[in-house]
Amino acid sequence: MTYDVVVIGAGLAGLTAALRLAEEGLRVLVVAKGVGGTHLAPATIDVLGYADGRVESPARALPEFVAAHPEHPYRRVPVGLIRASLEWFAERLGGLGYRGGLEENVLLPTAVGVAKPTALVPRTMAAGDLRAGGRFVFVGLRGFKDFYPGYLAENVARSEVPGGASVSARALELGPPLGGEVDVSSAGLARRFEQAEFRDLVVRELEQRLAPGEIVGFPAVLGFRHAQEVWQELETRLRHPVFEVPTLPPSVGGIRVFESLTAALRRNGARVVVGSSVSGSEHRGKTLEGVVTQTAARPRMYRARSFVLASGGFASGGLQMDSYGRVRETAFDLPLAGLPAPDGQRFEPGYFDEQPIAGVGLAVDDALRPVDAAGAPAFENLHAAGATLAGATPWREASGNGISLATGYAAASAILERTS
Amino acid sequence: MLVVGGGSTGAGVVRDAAMRGFSAILLERGDLATGTTGRFHGLLHSGGRYAVKDPVAAVECVAENAILRRTAADCIEDTGGLFVTTKWDDPAFGDEFERGCRETGVPIEEIPVDEALRLEPRLDPTISRAFTVPDASLDPWKLVSGCARSAREHGARILPYHRVLELERRNGRVVGARVDNELTGEEVWIRAEVVVNAAGAWAGQIAELAGCKVTVLPGKGIMIAMNHRLVNTVVNRCKPPADGDIIVPIRTVSVIGTTDTRVADPDELEVTQQEIDEMLDEGEKLVPGFREARALRVWAGARPLFSAEDVSDTREVSRSHALLDHAERDGVEGLITITGGKTTTFRLMAEAAVDVVCARLGVDRPCRTHEEPLRGSEEGRFYWLGSRVQAREPVPRSEEIICECELITRDRLKAAMVTRPTTNLDDIRRMLRLGMGPCQGGFCIYRATGILHAYERLDSRAANASLLDFLQERWKGVHPILHGDQLRQASLDDWIFQGLLAVQHLPE
Amino acid sequence: MTELVRDSLDHCVKCTICETFCPFSQATPLFPGPKYVGPQAERYRAGTSSPDVSVDYCSGCGICTRVCPQGVKIAEINSRARAGLWEERGIPLRNQLIARPSVLGRLGTPVAPLANWTLRNRPLRWVGERLLGVHRHAPLPRFARRTFQRWAKRHVSPAAERTVVYFHACGTNYYEPAVGRMTVEVLEHNGFHVVIPPQDCCGLPLQSNGNFPAARAYVRRLAARLAPYARDGCAIVTNSTSCGLMLKREAQEILDVEDEDVRVVSEAMFDLCEFLLLLHEHGELRTDFRPLPLTVPYHAPCQQQSHGIGKPALDLFALIPQLEAIELDADCCGVAGTYGLKKEKYEISMAVGERLFDEVREAEPDLAACDSETCRWQIEHGSSIQAVHPVELLHRAYGFGEP
Repeated sequence: MTYDVVVIGAGLAGLTAALRLAEEGLRVLVVAKGVGGTHLAPATIDVLGYADGRVESPARALPEFVAAHPEHPYRRVPVGLIRASLEWFAERLGGLGYRGGLEENVLLPTAVGVAKPTALVPRTMAAGDLRAGGRFVFVGLRGFKDFYPGYLAENVARSEVPGGASVSARALELGPPLGGEVDVSSAGLARRFEQAEFRDLVVRELEQRLAPGEIVGFPAVLGFRHAQEVWQELETRLRHPVFEVPTLPPSVGGIRVFESLTAALRRNGARVVVGSSVSGSEHRGKTLEGVVTQTAARPRMYRARSFVLASGGFASGGLQMDSYGRVRETAFDLPLAGLPAPDGQRFEPGYFDEQPIAGVGLAVDDALRPVDAAGAPAFENLHAAGATLAGATPWREASGNGISLATGYAAASAILERTS
Repeated sequence: MLVVGGGSTGAGVVRDAAMRGFSAILLERGDLATGTTGRFHGLLHSGGRYAVKDPVAAVECVAENAILRRTAADCIEDTGGLFVTTKWDDPAFGDEFERGCRETGVPIEEIPVDEALRLEPRLDPTISRAFTVPDASLDPWKLVSGCARSAREHGARILPYHRVLELERRNGRVVGARVDNELTGEEVWIRAEVVVNAAGAWAGQIAELAGCKVTVLPGKGIMIAMNHRLVNTVVNRCKPPADGDIIVPIRTVSVIGTTDTRVADPDELEVTQQEIDEMLDEGEKLVPGFREARALRVWAGARPLFSAEDVSDTREVSRSHALLDHAERDGVEGLITITGGKTTTFRLMAEAAVDVVCARLGVDRPCRTHEEPLRGSEEGRFYWLGSRVQAREPVPRSEEIICECELITRDRLKAAMVTRPTTNLDDIRRMLRLGMGPCQGGFCIYRATGILHAYERLDSRAANASLLDFLQERWKGVHPILHGDQLRQASLDDWIFQGLLAVQHLPE
Repeated sequence: MTELVRDSLDHCVKCTICETFCPFSQATPLFPGPKYVGPQAERYRAGTSSPDVSVDYCSGCGICTRVCPQGVKIAEINSRARAGLWEERGIPLRNQLIARPSVLGRLGTPVAPLANWTLRNRPLRWVGERLLGVHRHAPLPRFARRTFQRWAKRHVSPAAERTVVYFHACGTNYYEPAVGRMTVEVLEHNGFHVVIPPQDCCGLPLQSNGNFPAARAYVRRLAARLAPYARDGCAIVTNSTSCGLMLKREAQEILDVEDEDVRVVSEAMFDLCEFLLLLHEHGELRTDFRPLPLTVPYHAPCQQQSHGIGKPALDLFALIPQLEAIELDADCCGVAGTYGLKKEKYEISMAVGERLFDEVREAEPDLAACDSETCRWQIEHGSSIQAVHPVELLHRAYGFGEP
């Protein structure tokens, strides 16, 4: 089977590139070693949250940031294209009600109560915006060990908000019956929230305990497919604004994104094969002809005209370091940029220090194609996106999903341009 | 009696003393077992390692091994031990080894290589000889806290976080100590007829407070914990003792060690890349693929090696203990030092020390520590690896599990928070092994911090500090060895702590 | 191999993805999830002893291994632990019985009408549940009056340039010989001389019930029969996708069988739809399909997904004019081979399959399609919609009518 494009990796970057291409009528195959990124990351799109201090406006901060970090992936994606990717995302996942943009970051509380900037926020999380201040009440559920509203509330009440708006916060714990189960994950709770009887119990217990004007924060467990209805019902019945706070994996909000994107891929005729890792490739000169995946008994080649590598960074195994300190990119063994000096220290002793290894990855050209040290693309038809790219420390910059979305979108654009 | 040092020796001494009817106090500057005992390899020696080079030590180990199996079974996992001859070792040494074991009484049997490989499929298949001995793995915290509890039951007082500042002397006699309570900041004077210096690698520092010179050479050794039990038996190289020639399965990990470098300060133990590479290479000789296996963390301990004169290769210094009566040696009455030795012979060392105290005080009270089992070991049942999993059956999620790697439930965590004098997450980590599994706290530390806060043991500022300190402490042990799968884990943990939670931006 | 599977636990970063996807831990608190009983509990198992009973509630569906982003062989670790558990406790009679479909088949087919009546007699099923522990509502198939092997012995496959070997497996032989005949006709239509060697069970149900020694004996015997053809360069195709997986990989990875015959057979083994699609990719598949104006929801069984070949049935359906094939979303039908037959697991398996049954019904279909026979029986039981192997649709589209 010859496809137009094979995308390697089913995280946000891979699925974005795949959907964008499938929508334009190309035959797309996504192969992935497993399921990843989306299920672990929060559902918000962080474009740039921290540069020199907290970033209020990515649109304003990006030019300076990119100039100061010329190796950063954002260097390859013009601001206009980043903006287009956000708009595309919000539109494709219309059902999830994403709002926001590059102009002004929203400030949402994290599960420990830090006011964290983010650019694009789904409807179910929007009321948590701390910028306007407010009186917040965080609601925990007994038996759910991944959310500590008391700790969250105390920290969030001390957060600094631009404009000095006042934030006050308190905590409540509900004890809804969990059907005998004592240790429930966020996914388990999300499934329960999709049951009417469960919601009844929650509402009944909660409505007595809310003070006027309070904004109610739940952990991000308000359902999967029916999250919008669940959230709407809670707001309507409680008569208070309601929002979700993302907590430890599994990321329920991220799962919603994954399910929306894969459903859209299916509708557009794309194929997704999960559980196959890329073990090799075939090429003719500088043209990549096919990738080899491991099936149960033998390798299988998938041929295509273009390829997108979105296999992630160290966390997903797209990059690996062995016990000798040698780093490699695991699908194609492409040359890497940002490698620390071979006999230098691999890690700084301070946990929060800038770590040398974090910026390692693929350097790319303006078409998002991985390049070698001389700047020439490894293959003329291989593009890369997401956490495999060099030059970023997404968890410090609060830029993870933003980089994935923008570069996935840009890689697809480059392919469309090249093959039109 | 005042006992200085809360490692295995000190805990053994205070227990023995209390059982013999002395009123005793144990002082330890930090938490119990945070010195050498808490950082040792985890090996209950059969004596095989010393059979050729140090027969005296071997004979002691044989006896103590049997005694501890009888009295501290709950602290011991009966893994058994193997001595194997790899292709880098001289097969003839096996004969010398066997002879040495027979002469010192170490139970030994040579088994066919096939059988050894069936027992331990991960071993290098090119081994040429294999011997079984009764090595086992030993949990130091259970041991020390078991002794401390027994001591308390016999009327002793155990005081961790009490640092000795000064040993008071009157007329050439040590009469007590000036002590700083690290938690409250108060200073206390404690009077005693005899002070027993059981401060291990720090014994020299304590003795100096009384004007006595005791040369204790800290012999640094590093150990690397591998994520899972590559072997279920203690595996030793059948060769003259050297670096990196033992792998000990202890609880869920297997630990390779160790090195031997003389250092100046037992509190300054740096782990170097070179030492790490050495351990990994040695591991590869016993278990092919060792370098691809997941390494969890690395740490260093300081052996207390007593020497009457300075030497540079600490491996030459005897492992046998040194018992110093300062009245005879330095003319300072009321002080004895017990140092050197190894955890396996702690009880013997303690017995010897308390015997000297008896002699000094002119009383004759017999030791019973070789007979009386510790609490939990009365039935002589050894620790079983599967016990934590089995304890959660048949409905594993019938309780909230906070640390999933180590199967620590919320109730267990609460109980620990209630009983400890400090609400430091790090102490809880050591007690329960919270966050010491493969995920290195990636999931459980957030939960534990929230729980700590919820029980009003900490306000949010203290909770934040505790969380950040924990992350830093954990990083210390992890970053030198970070590669492969553990790097993947650390990367995910970074996403969680810095990306999702943004802990680096917590309010002051 | 043993150590490769166990050592894969090192890759686990506790990300919870496997638990999120596991349909069985969602359906019962008795199963704490694949991460828990797999890479997590494995660190507490020294040697073969298994301290946890809860691992028996793992169905072996393999979804966890497939979605794991780190390459942990979770389902395989669980399988081994389960075998260790049953080795210690002794395998109950029920598990011994239902794990030997070829034995049951040999007993049942000669007296098919009586056997089938017995299995559908409610009072007798009650008794069966009480005595044996097979749930009274468990979806049991009907014995065929004549085995497929009997037909195969009389069938003369036309000579052709290329030869293919057909591994039909127990399901086809004793319960669905018609599917076997259709498979042979489709292969012959595409220019293959089809060889059907005498063959017995591959041992998969024995493996999933924890009886590794018996499973190994069966798979070795089967491989010995098939290996000569594989060495001759013949492909071996099977319509029983789970048995195909057993020969492709599980015999080596889970049972630890190191056997040249098994290895050579594994390299030659193809799932039927995989094989047909490869023919098509080489331009060698006959596409003289008549229109089939049917709505057919398609469920890719868990074991088929574990082949790592995507969903070739869908690509084949796309070649049949007017056939509206719907790719179903739900992961698992719940039966997991013999799991859903058991008294203590039947409710769990039906809860797991509920979403799939709903999706099948909502499609308002003519037929459903699914590559695994046990899944088909479960789907029929849960949704009351007839389910066929994809080859039936190809057979019909080629115009061969009812065989």
